[in-house]
Amino acid sequence: MRVRIVSVLIAILVVAALPWLLQTPYWRGILVLCAMNVLLALSLNLVLGYTGQLNLGQSAFFAIGAYVSTILIKSYGWSFWLAALAAVGGAGLLGLALAAFAVRLRGHYLAIASLGFAVITYQVLINWENVTQGVRGIYGILPPVRSTIGLFYLVAGIAVLVYVLMDNLVRSPIGETLRAIREDEVSAASLGINGAVWKAFAFGVGAAIAGLAGCFYPGFVGTLVPEAFNIVESFTMLAMVIVGGMGTMIGPVIGAIVLTFLPEVLRDFGEFRLMIYGLALTLVVLFMPGGIVQAWRALTGRR
Amino acid sequence: MTDLLALFVQQSVNGVYLGCLYVMVALGLTLIYGVLNQINFAHADFVTVGAFAALFTATRFATKVLGLPDTGAYLLSMVAALGTGALLGLAVNAAVFAPLRERGDELRPLIATIGVSVIIENGQLWLFGPIPYQFDSPFSRETIRVGRIFFSMQSALVVAVSAAAIAALYAFMKFTFLGKALRAVAQDRETAGLMGINPNLLIAITIVIASALAGVAGALLGPVLVLTPFAGASVIVKAFAIVIIGGFGNMQGTIIAGLLVGIIEAFTVQYLGSGLIDLVVFVLLLVMLVVRPTGLIAERKEENV
Repeated sequence: MRVRIVSVLIAILVVAALPWLLQTPYWRGILVLCAMNVLLALSLNLVLGYTGQLNLGQSAFFAIGAYVSTILIKSYGWSFWLAALAAVGGAGLLGLALAAFAVRLRGHYLAIASLGFAVITYQVLINWENVTQGVRGIYGILPPVRSTIGLFYLVAGIAVLVYVLMDNLVRSPIGETLRAIREDEVSAASLGINGAVWKAFAFGVGAAIAGLAGCFYPGFVGTLVPEAFNIVESFTMLAMVIVGGMGTMIGPVIGAIVLTFLPEVLRDFGEFRLMIYGLALTLVVLFMPGGIVQAWRALTGRR
Repeated sequence: MTDLLALFVQQSVNGVYLGCLYVMVALGLTLIYGVLNQINFAHADFVTVGAFAALFTATRFATKVLGLPDTGAYLLSMVAALGTGALLGLAVNAAVFAPLRERGDELRPLIATIGVSVIIENGQLWLFGPIPYQFDSPFSRETIRVGRIFFSMQSALVVAVSAAAIAALYAFMKFTFLGKALRAVAQDRETAGLMGINPNLLIAITIVIASALAGVAGALLGPVLVLTPFAGASVIVKAFAIVIIGGFGNMQGTIIAGLLVGIIEAFTVQYLGSGLIDLVVFVLLLVMLVVRPTGLIAERKEENV
């Protein structure tokens, strides 16, 4: 227990110090992006890592969070936090809708259904021009906090909070229930676990967290276009979770940080951010199946 | 009324032509799934690689170096696309499917090939840039007219080539020893191994055949597609819809579903606009998954290849 409190304190200190280590506006922007990616990786990890459901539709919930909050603010004059609440709720509800498929489908079929979910969401964003402005996009979106440092502290603070809450969740009996479904759904059912309810829970919570990350994205970028939620964004989240180590709490956080900063460090290849993600995803699956976390444990000889 | 009928027949003809192309792509996915129980997510990217290979063979090599006429160059480019697809299949099997098979995880190969797909698409972006390529087939210029129905020589060629490929594949599966062995591996890999069949070799052959089909489909689709490095993303969406609607691993189902999706696409373009194709196809897919996840033709294991 004490170790955990100390590590959370250290994490908070590191987060607090980061903007002072990276002084330029560019790098501070990358920090905000990184915090958002951590949230997204955490959200996917709950579904993929702990519940064992390959969900390729996470970009859809990110999109719903972004669009619902922005439209409520810009067209209906809601305050940011009220709009964010509605957006998180909307994304969560849509997660439950996807869970309805997950209850009936497994493995590859679920992967394709969730991919379809992301494709449909993306196409609706493009085609429903009255509401979303289609490919023209929505412009002049303001962030909830004006300064980049402030925005970073806000998103990173939320990420730390989500991390702590999820860490508690996966250690609780609910976490064991989810893992039981991941390992063997039939055996779990024979122990009296209602797989449908808990899968719906994981999808709903995962979607809500992705929606929460989506609330901060439009204000940070200033514009909102459907292209930002192309299905390939689901794959980048997948890469973060897999590269870090799925099914562990710290893995996806590490994955998100590494894959946010790696393309920046390799400046010459900066244009090919996605190429790096693809390479990382394939190579890690082939040669380091447990991701960075497992590799680290193997190196230090700890289990 | 006759106008309406003519329009209906015209769109159906267009749909069958598209459908034939999709069947060639989707059959590969279904073949691999039947034998290996795995999905190659990069399958549709083999189509775009095939299309680019065909394009450069036709425009840079066949006409300029060999001095072939346009039609000959296009036919040669189809062979080049076939070879490229086969090589890609060999590579993805050696790099991803074969090493991961021993570990026996259901989802890892799928995740790895998602990575491969991202690599191929962005590799093409690096090589060819984001601007769409114009891929002219010499057969597109000639139009055939039957009554009030028009179609291009290209679409006749597409239907002919894909029908021949599908028939050849079907005959291969049904009547040759290798085809029988493939079906045996699909039914039960271990027992087939005990009967002296080398499952690893047969799996490699299946992936190579499937990928070669994707390559040829690229050469045929090239003149239809907006040929960009990311064209595969739209093709894979339809291919997935087709294999799910037809029933994963089921050849007949895939052929029927492919034609169906082609026709639906043609009518969607006519009545709703081309922007809605992916939307319509995937809504159909989700409905299908809810109503009848086994596909149109319910799974019968012995015909599952």
